[in-house]
Amino acid sequence: MVEPAGAHLAPTVAETLAPPLEGTPLVALDDIHVTFTTHRGLFRRGQVRALAGVTAAIGRGETLSVVGESGSGKTTLGRVSLRLADPTGGRVTFDGRDITRDPQGSLAWFRQRAQIIFQDPFSSLNPSMRVRDLIEEPLVIDGVSRGGERWDRVRGALEAVDLVPAVRFGARYPGQLSGGQRQRVGIARALVREPDYIVADEPVSMIDASSRIEILQLLRGLQAQRGVAFMSITHDLASARYFSDRIAVLYLGQVMEEGPTGAVIDRPLHPYTRALVAAVPEPDPANRFRRRAVVPAERAGSDPGTGCPFFSRCPERIPGTCDRVRPLLAGQGGGQRVACHLYPGSTPATVDAGADRASH
Amino acid sequence: MATPLLSVRDLTLHYAAGGGRVVRAVDGVSFDIPERGEALAVVGESGSGKSSLANALMRLLPKNAVALGGSVMLDGQDILALSDEQYRRQVRWRRMAMVFQGSMSVLNPVLRVGEQIVEPLLLDGTVDRRTAKKRAESLLERVGLPTALYDRYAHELSGGQKQRVVIATALVMGPDLLILDEPTSALDVSVQAQIMNLLKDLKADPGMAMIFITHDIGLASDLCDRIAVAYAGEHVELGTAEQVLLAPGHPYTQRLLRSLPRLRGGTMPEPMPGEPADLAAVPPGCRFHPRCPSCFGPCPKHHPPAFAVGTGGAATCWLLDPARAAIASDGAPSGTAHHG
Repeated sequence: MVEPAGAHLAPTVAETLAPPLEGTPLVALDDIHVTFTTHRGLFRRGQVRALAGVTAAIGRGETLSVVGESGSGKTTLGRVSLRLADPTGGRVTFDGRDITRDPQGSLAWFRQRAQIIFQDPFSSLNPSMRVRDLIEEPLVIDGVSRGGERWDRVRGALEAVDLVPAVRFGARYPGQLSGGQRQRVGIARALVREPDYIVADEPVSMIDASSRIEILQLLRGLQAQRGVAFMSITHDLASARYFSDRIAVLYLGQVMEEGPTGAVIDRPLHPYTRALVAAVPEPDPANRFRRRAVVPAERAGSDPGTGCPFFSRCPERIPGTCDRVRPLLAGQGGGQRVACHLYPGSTPATVDAGADRASH
Repeated sequence: MATPLLSVRDLTLHYAAGGGRVVRAVDGVSFDIPERGEALAVVGESGSGKSSLANALMRLLPKNAVALGGSVMLDGQDILALSDEQYRRQVRWRRMAMVFQGSMSVLNPVLRVGEQIVEPLLLDGTVDRRTAKKRAESLLERVGLPTALYDRYAHELSGGQKQRVVIATALVMGPDLLILDEPTSALDVSVQAQIMNLLKDLKADPGMAMIFITHDIGLASDLCDRIAVAYAGEHVELGTAEQVLLAPGHPYTQRLLRSLPRLRGGTMPEPMPGEPADLAAVPPGCRFHPRCPSCFGPCPKHHPPAFAVGTGGAATCWLLDPARAAIASDGAPSGTAHHG
């Protein structure tokens, strides 16, 4: 009933898509909660829930795009998966091993295998270091002592990101490179440790629109050739389309919808996902004669309370249910899951029974 | 024909770089904005000189600017010929205002939002504080914000609210023309959509003319009636949104459109070949020729003039030369079109 991931694209794209997740995932995030304590003024303290029970899994050589707006918790989720942020609840498993509570000192093996690519290729690279030194730095930290071996690996990483000839690009400084080339250096820096898992935090959002596809194709190629698993964090669904097998849509720390990339973009189920899809501008001279679709604004004074976090902005909310009952992620066929009371299975059975009794 | 609101001819802005090199950031750019309520997009990659164009129009020049030339006629008056003092008193913010790239960090963190909006009015000295405050409150409403935000500080606002405040600040002196440099680049797509809708409103009422500078030609189509495509300090194509988006004449514009990641459609985007030109060492002939898949005879040696594209459009590409069939075998372009 649901087309396979990528079937909406030309065959050239579909061919590059990895097979669906099988067996034990490489990265498993199970019911992750993160609560931050805020300090407003001298004595006032508050609690901010960044993540409220997120479950996600990434198989070897698979890319999961985590899509959401500012404040959705997407960056926190990436950091938790790297143990750069500690969850207040839930479990982080990497390659079958529970690392949720492992002290940082015992995670050296994990730091080798899990890397991050930063959003801003302009501020994340030290401008006074040559490209080859920037890429070599993680190896020095790891204690790879032979200079010849280090250079071989640096050259391999430069070649993998197509900064060739490696000798020439290695001698340059970040200021001598374009935005796209700098982001390639950031990718090479993550690759040089030969990781199994990379978190890419908005890898193309600060790059010219015309340079994005080459970075997305490069990442896609690395995933296919080296079997690297990625979590790609982005607010841009159009970019997610070219660099993910599956998409998870996050809103206020909860997964609203999750499924194969093609299904989520071509057949979005959750009202929030539908609004996000409708808000993406495509080049069209008729655009200027119509208003852009917007995600409805938050209504003042509304408190999601125990219900759906999108309740106050949702054009299709069901009063009495959506504001009171948190919807569960429920399968809708084809690997697509949605947490919305409009769909079967999302409303907990006890509530259904209660509603039935109430109506009789 | 009526005098255009803005008429730019052969605008040039060069900077001095180290080692005696010259950065040709704006190099002979010409365009018109015929009337109020019209929006022109200037689309290009980083380093194409599109932000320098805005700085040249606003006469906000860095110390290393070595040449500012050409003419900029605003309602028939050459504003490049004005002294700095005259320009500041008569033009900047009053008739032409700008929303800067990264405006989110432009707001002063220790001033209340309202105070920042009214600052130019009070400096002007023609209105009292009470009138200024009224004006600021009506502008806050105009950009879709509650007037209560007048007393807030920037850090208390969301990204979208800050961007609206910056737009209100640009509007306070009642300009006819707004220059917007990547006004939504740091915003979520849903907030971006709201800001674009606000700009559409301002374009319709009070009929604001706009120059919208962006790297994203898709976003440009959301607001702009005409699109100029910038490459290496020049405009290589200029036409209506329909012409440029649906039947682009210049190979660079064609590649730009083909490179965009899109949410719909079955065609895989193609990366733009090569790297952007170095503005301190622009290639001879057509500046795009080292990256151009259609490069032929005259392109590496002779700079192409603007040739007509469709109805009213123009692009600087030898492929469009009506006399192309007559091009001599030595690669030199023929006849009257030769400007090289």
